[in-house]
Amino acid sequence: MPNFLPLLITGLMNGAIYALVALGFVLIYKATDVINFAQGELLLVGVYVTFALVAETGFPLRPWPWPLAIAAALAVAVGLGVLIERLVLRPLIGEPIISVIMVTIGLSQLLRAIVAAFFGTSQRAFPPIFPSHVIELFGTRITADRLWALGIAGLLLLLLSLFFRFSTTGIAMRAAADDQQAALSMGISIKRVFAIAWSIAAVVATIGGLLVANNNGGINTSLGNIGLLVFPVVILGGLDSIPGAIIGGIIIGMIESFSAGYLNVKLGLEGLESVLPYVLLIIILMIRPYGLFGREIIERV
Amino acid sequence: MQSGVFHTTYGKDMALQQSSWQKWRLGLVLAALLIFPFVADNSQLYLANTIAIAAIGAIGLNILVGFTGQISLGQGAFLGVGAYASALFTGRLFELFGGTGGTPFLVSILLAALFTALVGTLFGLPSLRLKGLYLAIATLAAQQIIIWIITHTPKLTGGESFSLRPTLLFGLNMNQNGDFRFYWLLIPIAILVTLAATNLFRTRVGRSFVAVRDRDIAAEVMGINLFRTKLLAFAVSSFFVGLAGALLAHYRLVISPDRFEIGTSISFLAMIIIGGMGSIAGSIYGAAFITLLPALIESLGRQVSNIYPNIDTMLPYIQQGAFGLVIILFLIFEPEGLAKVWHNIKNYFNLWPFSY
Amino acid sequence: MQRLSRWILITMIVGVLAACGAETPASGGAAGDIKVGAIFDLTGATSDVGVPYANGVKAYVEWINGKGGINGRKIDLISQDYAYKVENAERLYSQYVSQDKVVAIIGWGTGDTEALRQKIATDKLPFMSASLSEQLTNVAEAPYNFVVGVNYSDQMRIALQYILEQKSNATGIKVAFLYNDSPFGKSPESALDTIAAASGMETLKVAMPRGATDLTAQIQQVQAFAPDYVVVQNTAGPASLALKNAATVGLKTQFVMLNFAANEILVNTAGPAAEGAIGIIPYAPPAADVAAVKDINEYLAGKGQGSISDNDKGLVFSQGWATMAVMTEGIKRAAAKGTVTGETIRVELEGLQNFDTGGITAPITFGASDHQGAVATKIYQVKGGTWTAISDVVEVKK
Repeated sequence: MPNFLPLLITGLMNGAIYALVALGFVLIYKATDVINFAQGELLLVGVYVTFALVAETGFPLRPWPWPLAIAAALAVAVGLGVLIERLVLRPLIGEPIISVIMVTIGLSQLLRAIVAAFFGTSQRAFPPIFPSHVIELFGTRITADRLWALGIAGLLLLLLSLFFRFSTTGIAMRAAADDQQAALSMGISIKRVFAIAWSIAAVVATIGGLLVANNNGGINTSLGNIGLLVFPVVILGGLDSIPGAIIGGIIIGMIESFSAGYLNVKLGLEGLESVLPYVLLIIILMIRPYGLFGREIIERV
Repeated sequence: MQSGVFHTTYGKDMALQQSSWQKWRLGLVLAALLIFPFVADNSQLYLANTIAIAAIGAIGLNILVGFTGQISLGQGAFLGVGAYASALFTGRLFELFGGTGGTPFLVSILLAALFTALVGTLFGLPSLRLKGLYLAIATLAAQQIIIWIITHTPKLTGGESFSLRPTLLFGLNMNQNGDFRFYWLLIPIAILVTLAATNLFRTRVGRSFVAVRDRDIAAEVMGINLFRTKLLAFAVSSFFVGLAGALLAHYRLVISPDRFEIGTSISFLAMIIIGGMGSIAGSIYGAAFITLLPALIESLGRQVSNIYPNIDTMLPYIQQGAFGLVIILFLIFEPEGLAKVWHNIKNYFNLWPFSY
Repeated sequence: MQRLSRWILITMIVGVLAACGAETPASGGAAGDIKVGAIFDLTGATSDVGVPYANGVKAYVEWINGKGGINGRKIDLISQDYAYKVENAERLYSQYVSQDKVVAIIGWGTGDTEALRQKIATDKLPFMSASLSEQLTNVAEAPYNFVVGVNYSDQMRIALQYILEQKSNATGIKVAFLYNDSPFGKSPESALDTIAAASGMETLKVAMPRGATDLTAQIQQVQAFAPDYVVVQNTAGPASLALKNAATVGLKTQFVMLNFAANEILVNTAGPAAEGAIGIIPYAPPAADVAAVKDINEYLAGKGQGSISDNDKGLVFSQGWATMAVMTEGIKRAAAKGTVTGETIRVELEGLQNFDTGGITAPITFGASDHQGAVATKIYQVKGGTWTAISDVVEVKK
């Protein structure tokens, strides 16, 4: 098997970023039972705010240093998360699932239009955040910024796991996800939990987006499409499992890289890697509907 | 004076048109439909035809989502299955095997609709184990897989685009002056579909769909076979969607995969959300609304361009944003859609002078 | 009645009234104006290049109108965004035809061009777009489509001609083809197959998934093949990602970019990784010393809109400008002879012999059986961050 190790590492790197974006879905779903089709657009907003502060001409005090710009973008993300929860999702509590799905789809169209109206849709060069010199790792050449991305994704995933396990807020969020009424009667503010979940999801999306933008070197509004790519990830891992999102992300990353590396040419099916995750998704849904780590819901009448 | 509608016989209660007003209204609408093609120009006819096709598709989707409670994000791809299937049946399939013939148009659209029903049932299989969100994502996967297959089998689907032969109906070339001729085909089919769907929910099968939506476990306890009912809903829904796709293909004569991407699925969902889920009439209102929305915004833009000359550069973004905004606003303020709005307006007059 | 229902009703009535009001001819149309409809992608999937193309077309119209138009008659360009959705393109088209009564159409992508191909033939309206698919040059299939630039297949032929010239022995040359996983990407595939079979080239085809955020796995596959050349058919964004990933894995090869991958966006996004890449560019780059670029810069400076080398303009802007220039020439000749209709414009376009687009493209020649404008282009290479010509005009050998 030629190229095995390089493909493995490539899969791991991409998988970590998928995991990060998928984490946003899982967080929102876990705490609020909402599946967020606008996750890609939350990412888009975060990335473009950072971009505007660092590179956009005509913006006051340009250019902002990276840490300051990213901090500002994360603050915007928190605000956006709270705003969306308050204005859009709260009125829909108790509505059927299709309404909730559609409202986030509507939101994604709206956010994308707003970003496009401000920044245009042309491809913009994204200045590098991390040094990108090439280093050799187990005989495979990768750039330093990809290692940074892997490290940051790993750290973030670890922090969030710890947050849910040990912090009071994290435990309150898990309680709210488990049973909203019971949580309410224990004095947990569901509104606060929801707002926090959306904020964290927006923050995580922004960081994930910055890592992708840094890797690509350029951004345009179709960056938001990444939101769709992570559905196989969350289904594979289970919609409500953080470790599931991580492992699901890495598995999908590997599948893409190995199918691109081996299967395409062998089977004569070019471009197989873009559909294989979805085929896998259907198979998993048939065999293990709640994913590898998802919690099975038992319904009682 | 009576305030409200009161029935004195069962027959009256079950009638599709419950009051003489409704019969009058129906007559007026039919008359308007008959006169319209003689006063409208081609672009208005095009809009009417597009609305008719969209309405057939939206009714199909509404049967699945609004009446049976099974979410589908794969509507665009099923539309594509119908379009490509009919295009193949009318010619290409025969050419592939060295023949020159083709199935007659009307047979071909029916075959295509049946084929789509089959594909829909296949992708509906996960619904037996899945509900809600998980099913939504499974249909999203169906969308991606079908489009991938269409773009990666150029021998069958022509790759970039697929040109159909002109549509012949009883020896008449339908595509010559197509906007006018297709109007006379599409409107009656849309009316037939509306009637069929309306009557479907007066039958045992239709009512079992609704029972599954309202509470599937309770429905099962009452003796409804969940397995059969859910698959049947997928089949019936996909049949209508496939029919819409086939008609679209023959109306436009050139089809390409771009037309059936996820954006189309979202447009169809928006139609039934805005029109009213679980309402046949709502599907038609929604189809009209979503089809006309960009045109409405454009003409509003033209109106105000004298006052705000910069509106031209912002118009595309306004159009894109408005689509999302309308969905959000309807879901928050009028989740039952335009059908409910119309209902409220009717009630206002029905209950007058005691309306509130 | 609920308050909201009332609001919805009022909004709808206002909307419908506005729509009815708008059906009277739109503002600005004086009697002698020549109406041309345009369908642009300003917000959709390809809007990154769709916007500069649209601006190029619009700029040419303003420029020619500023110079007195066509014998005193102005061109009235009616343009709208179709967001890369075929159904929007069809709606706009039918509106242009039956309400605005346009005499020609400027389109944009593969989807709208293909979808309207038969309609424009029945309505007899000449159509030009940025879709350079070879099947559009087939007059029997597409009698009213005109392809101004060198089509994708010819671009591929020129690229392979160049490659074959570099090596004395064709057998054993390895060429990898990286393409956008879509009909657009696959368009030049058959040209590659034919030439490879004839010359004994070895080829490898690798699809770039749409919306991919990383192409390392695909590049590693290319690396295992160890090609002498890699030909890329994609837009500049993914192409520059491929270049960056190739630099990282240490792929030593010569990249050859076809039209939509070879522009300033590639240089800006890929940075040093773009250095040395070859481009088959049928349009003169912003740095070129040709008449049209001077006109464009003069026009832009007059409007206070910078210059053609700005980030938001560039090559695709020139492409839009040149396409509209050719269409305008057809209209001008038709006007000189009498009535301007879709049919007369078509006849005049077919009579074009070596029409100069101000140096943006090779001279344009159409014929009654040939709707391919240019069949020749210069070859460029990124040197020090700018596209520099490395050849004279190269013609396709058929």
